[in-house]
Amino acid sequence: MTAPLVKAAPWVRTAPVSYQDLLGICACLAWALAAHVTSLPAWVLVTVVGCGAIRVLLAKRSRSAPPRSLRVALAALAIVFLFLQFHTFNGLTAGTGLLALMAGFKLLETQTKRDIYVVTLIIYFVSMAALLEGDSFWMLAYLIGGCWLTTATLLRLTAGGPAPGWRSSLRYAGRLMCQALPLALIFWLFFPRFAGPLWHLPEDGRSAASGLSDTMSPGDITDLARSDEVAFRVHFANTAPPPQERYWRGPVLHDFDGHTWRRSYSASLRAPALRTQGPAYRYTVTLEPHQHNWIFTLDWPAQWDLPSAALTGDYTLVQPGPVSRAIDVQATSYTRVQSTEPLEPMQRGRDTRLPPGRNPRTLQLAQSMRGAHPDDMDYVHAVLGMFTQQAFYYTLRPPQLAGNSVDDFLFDTKRGFCGHYASAFATLMRAAGIPARVVTGYQGGTFNRFADYWIVRQSDAHAWDEVWIAGRGWLRIDPTAAIAPGRVEHGSDDASGADEPLGSRWRHTPWFADARLRLDALRQLWRERILFFDQDSQQQMLEYLRIPEPDGRKLVMVLAAALTMALFWLTWAVRRELEPAPKEPLLRHYSRLCAKLAAAGVPRMPHEGAEAYAVRVARCRPDLAASVTALCRRYTALRYAAAPARITIGQFAAAVRAFRPGPRPPPCT
Amino acid sequence: MSTLRQAAIVKLRAWAARRHGPDSLPISIDRRRIYILPTRFGIMLALMLAAMLIAGLNYNSNLGLAFAFLMSSLAVVTMHHCNRNLLKLCVDANTEADAFAGGAARFEFLLRNDSGIERRDIEIRCLAAGTGGTSSSGNVPAKSSASVAVDIPVTRRGVLRLHQFELRTRHPFGWFHAWTYVQGSLTAYIAPSPHGSRRPPGTGRGAASRSEARGDEDFSGLRAYQPGIPLKHMAWKVLARGGDAAVRSYTSMAAQPEWLEWSALDGLDAEARLSQLCLWVLESDAAQRPYGLRIPGTEISPAQGAAHRVACLRALAAANPP
Repeated sequence: MTAPLVKAAPWVRTAPVSYQDLLGICACLAWALAAHVTSLPAWVLVTVVGCGAIRVLLAKRSRSAPPRSLRVALAALAIVFLFLQFHTFNGLTAGTGLLALMAGFKLLETQTKRDIYVVTLIIYFVSMAALLEGDSFWMLAYLIGGCWLTTATLLRLTAGGPAPGWRSSLRYAGRLMCQALPLALIFWLFFPRFAGPLWHLPEDGRSAASGLSDTMSPGDITDLARSDEVAFRVHFANTAPPPQERYWRGPVLHDFDGHTWRRSYSASLRAPALRTQGPAYRYTVTLEPHQHNWIFTLDWPAQWDLPSAALTGDYTLVQPGPVSRAIDVQATSYTRVQSTEPLEPMQRGRDTRLPPGRNPRTLQLAQSMRGAHPDDMDYVHAVLGMFTQQAFYYTLRPPQLAGNSVDDFLFDTKRGFCGHYASAFATLMRAAGIPARVVTGYQGGTFNRFADYWIVRQSDAHAWDEVWIAGRGWLRIDPTAAIAPGRVEHGSDDASGADEPLGSRWRHTPWFADARLRLDALRQLWRERILFFDQDSQQQMLEYLRIPEPDGRKLVMVLAAALTMALFWLTWAVRRELEPAPKEPLLRHYSRLCAKLAAAGVPRMPHEGAEAYAVRVARCRPDLAASVTALCRRYTALRYAAAPARITIGQFAAAVRAFRPGPRPPPCT
Repeated sequence: MSTLRQAAIVKLRAWAARRHGPDSLPISIDRRRIYILPTRFGIMLALMLAAMLIAGLNYNSNLGLAFAFLMSSLAVVTMHHCNRNLLKLCVDANTEADAFAGGAARFEFLLRNDSGIERRDIEIRCLAAGTGGTSSSGNVPAKSSASVAVDIPVTRRGVLRLHQFELRTRHPFGWFHAWTYVQGSLTAYIAPSPHGSRRPPGTGRGAASRSEARGDEDFSGLRAYQPGIPLKHMAWKVLARGGDAAVRSYTSMAAQPEWLEWSALDGLDAEARLSQLCLWVLESDAAQRPYGLRIPGTEISPAQGAAHRVACLRALAAANPP
């Protein structure tokens, strides 16, 4: 058969692009840009979409692109705008914005297929950029889907003659990507990772801070308490501390203006030495990005594996930049410590200062109670006793407080959340001259029994106090524990559940909780195995492969060896398709029968038909005569009989499978 | 840059010719003779992949790296597919082509694909000295064949010999182009462009009288069939009786062959004479008159038909006038 004479255009690159392909490439660009929809400025997206839409509309009416001068002017304007907004093109958002604009304006001037080629490259790059700070499996799957679509479009674009159909293009592109997978996996596993960035890129500050902030006003934490978002996950190497010791330390607040507590930036003191007691807890914290520079650790941190992080004077672990992507930190903490150094006068002054003229009733109360309890510890217990004995309530819905928040809370509303109690307690302490500070962080956590780690959610946010007692150092006092001991023993859900609306009760049903934990376990697995795959993981992998003294050089050698094997496989896999079509099933089963007989010492001669072969086998191996004759007869019937055979190919295959010729007899001709 | 590239390509072609030696058509393309390089688009892709890799490493982003590695591997797979697109393809060609100066010599190539996959966008390129090279492309469906015709524009009379042609493909995606050189010799006979104002020598007696002289009543017997003789002269009854193919012969046709002679065209320069002779050949052939050709160094005795016409035109193409 001879196909009709084909005469195609000299080369397709300069051929005009068809309406359908234009539509396809616009869809691919939109697909890739949709991954950036939360980070890119809206006007950039509008501009790019507008360019694409105008070009498609023009193409539909078979009109050419707008004049060159207009396009250049618009593009220059947009790029200047972008620069004014970001002051750089180096960052992720600014760079992506620039690429998106370039793609849009390139699309606008598209005449030939060659113009589109640049756009496909931009689409690929923009897709990858979305993954640089993304971390979800779904995002990866979504963008690989986009890559597939783009590749199929490119296949249509580069085809000479009529473009192949969408379905076959997608199938072919999909097959190529599947063949690329093993190679990509080898690259990913063995390509050496570096410890730090090659050069520092400006932070975009693209996401809003979440979780605790460095200020605390009454009611702040109640907003967090309703959030199910995960703050961090913790895996303890050995045992977890008991619930009443699971305090996760965050920013420590010193400055109080009568309403709001603030972190003090006045002095960056070194962390005072501590004498540790009790067991050491080793654990790994996987922090969700929260855009602040502190790292939550179990109270009190002693060691950590993040070289750039350091302790502040008030024992918060901080790193130089904000936590803008998920990180994991291995640390060791002691839950029982004692300060060995005296409190510096400057620190004492800071932690006993109260705003003059605010909360007068509280100050009065403190003076009268201090009169009755001159000993510091006695006074602390007296204040805690007041909280339990008087009608104070723990609630997620405290009433609004006015300017003198502590006065209002202590004498009027008497209802509050941990923040209220911590604030009131610290004020009462300072009023009595005892240095006190508010520590914010998290308390408790949910154990995921499906994967042996703890989930700490925003709803576990907590605030407590530390007071300086001469001779004992900083002591943790949690006034909330005095009001609602359940809050500390069982977590915030139990303590606050009583006044949650009925509508969200179903969240506490066991199956929902289980499903959520299982999902979270999967997410954590993805994190540990994929997102945090690094130099150490590669080293462990080499150790697992029993390679002695693994190092970077060995890693590269393993990469080269694996790549060589993969390339051999690829060459074989790609060329295999050139071989003649595989045998039809019946022939395959028959060949199998012949192979079995050959192994039994009676190979089929090339010229022999099934019947003649059966006769010869019967002569050489009389023990097999009956079965082989029957099999060969069936084969002949299946293959040559005009009428539908009495048995099916499947039955024949089963018979061949069941056929066992037995041991090899003396050679036979 | 361009001339440098041209020089490199000339060297490469010569090297390939030495390496593979002359080929006899048809030929199946084996892997040793397929060369592959990235196209300009492929180089742009490579730069982009490098940028992706650097970005992924710099952000320490395992997902970004996964995407970059997937794209790089896709490029490697594409390279194999591009190479495969030519592999084990069978090429045949008609090695001779006829043309007139100012026209185009058409070589037809037959591509046979025995495999179960379609070969897409196979381009055949013939590079003739002095011309930029021309190409055509086509698809070869699975277990099938396709013919691709390449027209080489020719401007001057003569015999054009090509010792090499090229099969190339950029399928899929145009990131790579794979090519192979086939050392098959192709010959184009380029007859002079037919023009001139002189009347042929035989027309002295007048074309009108000749056509009157032709008729069925002048039947003079049977002679053996030769290709090119109009079918209306076939002796079908002889054939039906089982005899050899024969044609009825007429006295008026057999008689008076006209000679188209170089020497009859004094006063014209050599190429003009050849152009005039070419025009006469075509006119005589169109009028189904027997004619002979006599030019310096060559004499073709009178006959008629397509084969005779081709022989005459080739003689004119190859003529080497003093």
